[in-house]
Parts: sequence; C-alpha cells; structure tokens
Amino acid sequence: MPEPCLAIESLSKRFGGFYALNDLRMEVARGHIHALIGPNGAGKTTFFNLVTGVLAADRGQITFEGEIVADARPSRRTLRGIARTFQNIRLFPHLTVLQTVMIGEHCRSYPSMWKALASAVLQRPFGEAREEGRMRDNALDLLAFFGLADKCDAKATDLPYGDQRKLEMARALATQPRLLLLDEPAAGMNPHETHELDELITRVRDRGVTIVLVEHDMRLVMDISDRITVLNFGTKIADGSPEEIQRNPAVIEAYLGEDVPL
Amino acid sequence: MFDGLIDGYTQSILIFTGISVIAAYSFFAPFKTGQVSLGQAGFMAVGGYASAVLTQKFGLPFAAALPVAGLIAGVVGVVVGFPALRIKGIYLLLLTLGFGEIISVIALSWDYVGGAQGYRNIPFNPRTLDYVIGIVIVLVIFFGRLERSSLGRAMDSIHQDETAAEVMGIDVVRIKLLAFGLGAMIAGIAGALYAHQATYVDSTTFNIMLAVEILTFVVVGGGSTYWGPLVGAAVLSYLPEFLRALREWLELLPVAATNFFPMNRVYDFLHGFLDFENAKRLIVYGIILILMMIVRPDGLLTRDTIPRLPFARWKARHA
Amino acid sequence: MIYQQLINGLMLGASYALVAIGYTLIFGVLNLLYFAHGEIFMVGAFVGLFLVVYAGANIYGALAGAMVACAVIGVLSVFVAIRPVPKDRPLAPLISTIGLTIVLQNLAVYFIGGQQLAFPETIRQTLYHVGPVTVSSTQIFILGVAIGLMILLWLFIERTKMGRGIRAVAENHETAALLGVDVNRIILITFIIGSGIAGIAGVLDGLKNSSISPFMGLGAAVKGLIVMLLGGLGNVPGAMVAGLMLGMIEILSAAYIGTTERDLFSFLILILILLFRPTGLFGTRTAEQR
Repeated sequence: MPEPCLAIESLSKRFGGFYALNDLRMEVARGHIHALIGPNGAGKTTFFNLVTGVLAADRGQITFEGEIVADARPSRRTLRGIARTFQNIRLFPHLTVLQTVMIGEHCRSYPSMWKALASAVLQRPFGEAREEGRMRDNALDLLAFFGLADKCDAKATDLPYGDQRKLEMARALATQPRLLLLDEPAAGMNPHETHELDELITRVRDRGVTIVLVEHDMRLVMDISDRITVLNFGTKIADGSPEEIQRNPAVIEAYLGEDVPL
Repeated sequence: MFDGLIDGYTQSILIFTGISVIAAYSFFAPFKTGQVSLGQAGFMAVGGYASAVLTQKFGLPFAAALPVAGLIAGVVGVVVGFPALRIKGIYLLLLTLGFGEIISVIALSWDYVGGAQGYRNIPFNPRTLDYVIGIVIVLVIFFGRLERSSLGRAMDSIHQDETAAEVMGIDVVRIKLLAFGLGAMIAGIAGALYAHQATYVDSTTFNIMLAVEILTFVVVGGGSTYWGPLVGAAVLSYLPEFLRALREWLELLPVAATNFFPMNRVYDFLHGFLDFENAKRLIVYGIILILMMIVRPDGLLTRDTIPRLPFARWKARHA
Repeated sequence: MIYQQLINGLMLGASYALVAIGYTLIFGVLNLLYFAHGEIFMVGAFVGLFLVVYAGANIYGALAGAMVACAVIGVLSVFVAIRPVPKDRPLAPLISTIGLTIVLQNLAVYFIGGQQLAFPETIRQTLYHVGPVTVSSTQIFILGVAIGLMILLWLFIERTKMGRGIRAVAENHETAALLGVDVNRIILITFIIGSGIAGIAGVLDGLKNSSISPFMGLGAAVKGLIVMLLGGLGNVPGAMVAGLMLGMIEILSAAYIGTTERDLFSFLILILILLFRPTGLFGTRTAEQR
C-alpha cells in the first residue's frame, strides 16, 4: 500500500478552553480528492491553518509524503508542496489577475532571494528577464486552464465572485503543489459555476495533485470525492467513501439532515 | 563638475533637494513591503556620524567612507529590522521613532562623537553634488527595475496581504529584512552626504521632524510607484525655496500693472505673505500638506498616472 | 532629598499624563495618531501667558482661557484636517495632522518669534515645610489642578453616560452606533476634552518652568506617545498612571544616573514595552489591536 500523501496523528488545537480540533487522526491517499465536511465551527479551517503552518498545533503530528512537517513558517511548507485557498478569499487588492498568479510562481522561480535581487537589478534596460517571460507564459497557461486568460490585465478584486475563487486556485497551483487544500471553493457559486468547478477540480487532480476539499455543497462533495472525513466540534465522527458516509447514522444526525438529496 | 555651470547657491539647493530625494528612497524601500518607518532620520545619523569618524579620525577618503558608512547603517537597520518583523501599524511607528530618539541621545552623550557640542570640522566634500546626482540616478534605475521584477511584485504582495503572501511561498521574513536594511543603508548614505556638506552635525540634526518629513515626501509624492519619492521630495523640499522665488518674480511685475486697486492690495498681500521669513513659508507648507491629503490622498503619482504620461505612451507603442 | 525628587517626579509625570490623555482618547476613538496634539499643548501655554500679561487675568482665568481656546482649536482641526481626509488610506490622516503640526508651530513662531518667553508668576510664592519635605505653593497648585483634573476625568469616563459612549466608540464604531450612540458627536467631544486638558497642561507647564517656547510641543508629543503606549492604547486611566510612573522614572534616573541619560531610559522602556508587552501595562481599549 503506497504511503499516504498526508497523514495526521493526534492533531489538537485549543483556543483558551475550547478545542477547535481534538485528537484528529486521518489519512489522505495520493491522487485522491478527499473531502472534509462538518457543520460550521467543526474545525475544518483550523485544520487547514495547522497543515499550512499558519497556526501551530498544541499536540500531534503532520506527515507529508512520508516526512514529518514541522516548519514554523508557512512559506517553507509551500516550498515542500502544500498549497491552499482561503475561505474568505484573500486576493492582493492592488494586483492584476496575471500578477496574482505570478506571485505564486515566485517561490519556484526564485527560491533564493539574493538571486531574485540580482535578477531584478541586472535585467536588460528595455526588456524582461528571461525568467520573467517564462513565468508569464506559465501564468497564462494556468489562467487559460481556468478560463481567465482574457481577463489577465484586470484588477483581481474587480472580477466577479466566482472568477475570484478560480483565481485563488490558479494562484495556489502556480506554486506547483502536490497537495492542494481548497477551503469552500464553491461558496456563493450558482449551480452552473459549481458544475464547472466540479470539472476543474477533477482535472487538477488528474494533473497529479492530491486535493483536500472543505465544502458545504453536498452534491459537489458526493460527486467528486474519493473519500470523506466528517468533523463535528473538532472531533472526527466518520471516515469513509461517499456511500458509507451517506448511510452513517451519526453523520446524518449531526449534519446532513433530511433536505439534502442524496 | 558643475562649478563652472551652476552658481554656488543653486548648487547647494540642488544638493539639499538631492539628499532629500535619497532620504525619501530610504523610506520607500521598507514601505514597499508595508513597513512604515519613522526611523530613517536615525539611520541618517548613524551614517553621518560614521562617515565623519571614518574620514576625520581614520583618515579614509570620502569615496571609501561613504559606502562603509552606508553598510554600517545597513547592518544597524537589519538589527532593528528583526524586532520590527512582527510589529505593525502604530507600534512600528513608535518603535522606529524610539530608535531614532535613542540614536539622538547616544549622539548627545557620547563624547567620542562630540557629545553636546556636536561633531565639528567634518571634512568638506567639494564634489557632493556629483555624488548626489549619481546616487539619485542609481536609485531611480534600481527602484524602477525592482518595481518591474518578481521580487518587487513579491514585496508589493507582502504590503497588501502579508499572510496570503507567506502562504503562497514568499519568504516574508527575509524580504522584509532586506527591505529594511536596504532602506537603512540608503539613509546612511544620505546622512553621510549631508555631514560632509554641512561639516557639522549634532544630536538635533537628524530629529523627529526630519523623520516625519521623509515620510511626508513619499506619501505626498505617491507611495505606490518608484517615481513617487523623487517627485515628492523634489517638490516638497524645494517648495519653501519656490515660494521665495515666487516673491522675487512678483517684484518683477511692472509697477503700473499693480498700482491700482485692487491689484495693489493683492500685490501687497502676496508680497507680504511670501516674505522671506521662514515661519510664514512653513505655514503655507503645512496648509499645502493638509490640502493634498484632502484632495489627493494617494499622492501626486499613482500607478494609474504613470501610463498616461506622454513618455510612457511613446514607450508602450515602441516596445 | 528623595522626597524632593519624588515631588518633582510627580509634577513631571502629571504633565506627561495630561498630554497623554488626549493622545490616548483620540487614538482609542479614531485609531488615529493625532500628531498635532503636542502643539495644542504649546498653544495652551501661550494663550495662558497672553491672558495673564495682556488681559491681566489671574491664574484661573489663564487656565480657563487656555482650556477653551484649545478645545476650540481641537474642534476646528477635526473639521479642517480630519473629517475631509479619507480614512481608508492609513497614512493620509497622519500626514494631514503633520501638516497641522507645522502650521500651528509656525503660527506661534510667526507671532511670537522663535525664542522662549518668560511665564510670569501668578501665584504668591510660599514655602511649606512638611517633615523632611519642602513644597512651594506653586507645586501644590500644579499638582492639585492636575490630579483633580485626572480624577474628574476618570469619573467622567467610568461613571457617566457620555463616558460610556466614549468607551463604546473606542471598542467599535458600528456597535456603538447600533446602541444609539452618536459617533460623530462623541468624536468631537473626545477632541474637546483632550485638547482642553492639553491646554491646561500647557499653562501648568509654563507655571512650573517659568518659561515657554514655541517648540515645547514636540518634546511633549514624544513623551505623550510613550506614555500612551505604556498605559495601553486607548486606556485613559492607564495613561494617567503610566504618565506619573514615567515622570518619576525620569526624575529618579536623572538624579541618580545622569541628566543626559534620562531620556535614554524612557526610550528603552518604549522599546521594551513594544517588544514584550505592546498592549501596555494596563491593556488597550481600542478596536484594532494588531
């Protein structure tokens, strides 16, 4: 059995007396689309913050591709191959669509800051550095993948909501991750956009990226997930295939309710 | 180099304006990553005093002392930059302000650099204008290239959303330190240039009002583009002098044109108001600052104004 | 001997506290570093001086006149330099208050010249001996006014409806508005109180030092900022206590270590607080606590 992409052991995070995440244990298999669902406040975004290093865990271990992840700084974890989008969209307010994606590329093109500085200073007076051209082409490719290429010079925050979410994904993908954490990518989208997103996420996975998906849209979740973990009040209450989850009484009781078509 | 072409008075105006421009760029560097520093006057002091000591007590020629003084200021900048990493907003303002004041107090109480009497007899540098012009040109080219580069974009992203930038793999810590140290170094160079032009510095030379003025240069000029510091510093540091010159031109008007009412009243008022006296000119300066922030809070130049300028249009068409 | 220094420390501290109150009130309510506040302090001193010298006022008249004049200037500055400037660019309001600082300082220089002016004696000088301590009537007066003012203000902030309004606005503008508080009015009142107190502080300072200068505002500003931070941003009682503390620390370090180093202590304290306890000794009371 090939080693999992992401292995979580006893992961816990407290805020004061309140356990946002309590002793979580889960595995994400390579090449899977793994969904993380649960009512609001169940700890899903906290989980993302812990994996990406934005918050420090109180207890527990995160293993990525067989190696323990302990970097204090999120940028290091991104260099390892873990990327994410944000629940409440954090685009750079004054950058264009193209520049936004190129930010994602920076860490791969210039892992050394001093090289970046040298490249900045020594470029030819009236042209771009070769690297810049390459980054631009990569960025345009990614934007084309998401159908945003024609808007590349628009200000990122001027885009319609659905496009902003796609842009966040493009930016995250620019860092060439092997694990992509998507935080509610379908929030606020209409059914047509959600269907498009469905295809996009699957195609991203087919390019070799393992995906962990936090979502409330059950149709999307059941449709594309290979495996689902259910959280409630920071604790895992179920873990299995979509069919298993749909039949699980604890899950139904805690979360799914009767109105969601299964 | 310019001694035959430009008279001494104009030269000193240009030097003063040029040093202001350099100081403005020293603020611009950390500002690009979102760090607002009121400590640049303090770094100028470090550079100025260091250069004075190196030339006067160690006999270094100015050409060698200048980069060394800049480096010393840069190192101090990196040291201050560490605690500044996790501090933002008003706290960073106060930290950098406090740093500047500490430097002042050290200058006041350390007799090696003159103590309360200040540092006298700093060797005069007759080629200051050459240095100033050269350094300004280098800075404009440097920051222009930086703005168009990936590193410059990374700095902007840190300014706009530091956490998002960090999560996208940008090495926020290193880049912020680089920016801060770079700013300090540039300030040190400005301070050294000043010291060898004025030949005297003391603990009150590089004070809070200077630190605040430097901030003003960049914000008024436009903090989002690399031409902003140049324009802001040039306009604001030249402004008091401009007002004085305006008064002289006023006096050139033919008497007949201004002898009758109401022109004579207008003339008298303007002439009296643009009096050589510093205080009145500064009052106008302060009013202009307030008006600028009401009317154009993003500064004179923004990223949108640059493309509309004729030169940029030509360049875009011929690229 | 030490008691003498303690008295001096209290007097200096009271001065710092009174200036810091304005800074912290305004920052609490507007999240704005009102740079010109130091100049308001200076203007108060000069108004007081003029009232005494040219209008024959006594010290109470001077204090009242300075308070009113400064409160008016404070209100004017809101309409001229603060309201018209968009708040979403964080540095723009700061720059306009810097412009205001330059205007006020140079107005003073223009009308009075750049020199120090002597502040006349308005209180009959008597010395009182209490045990090992000798205090002058001037010192008692200054301390009495300052501390009385601080107590009144404390009662106002903590016990009155308007004071609650101020604290609500400092927490969160929207919530305060929802609770029926007129946010704009509260902001104006904050400026009135802060500026008025600074004006009184200016006169007291003139009385203490027997002289005033158009440049006294800048030094007061820096110390006021340190005290504001030390006490906790937006925390008025905190600023009062912190001011007294800083005054004592400065005087004692000047007495026992050296006068040029005395400022060094204050700035070191500033740095330490910023690095290790940015919320101040007594906690902040303002919306943004990044």
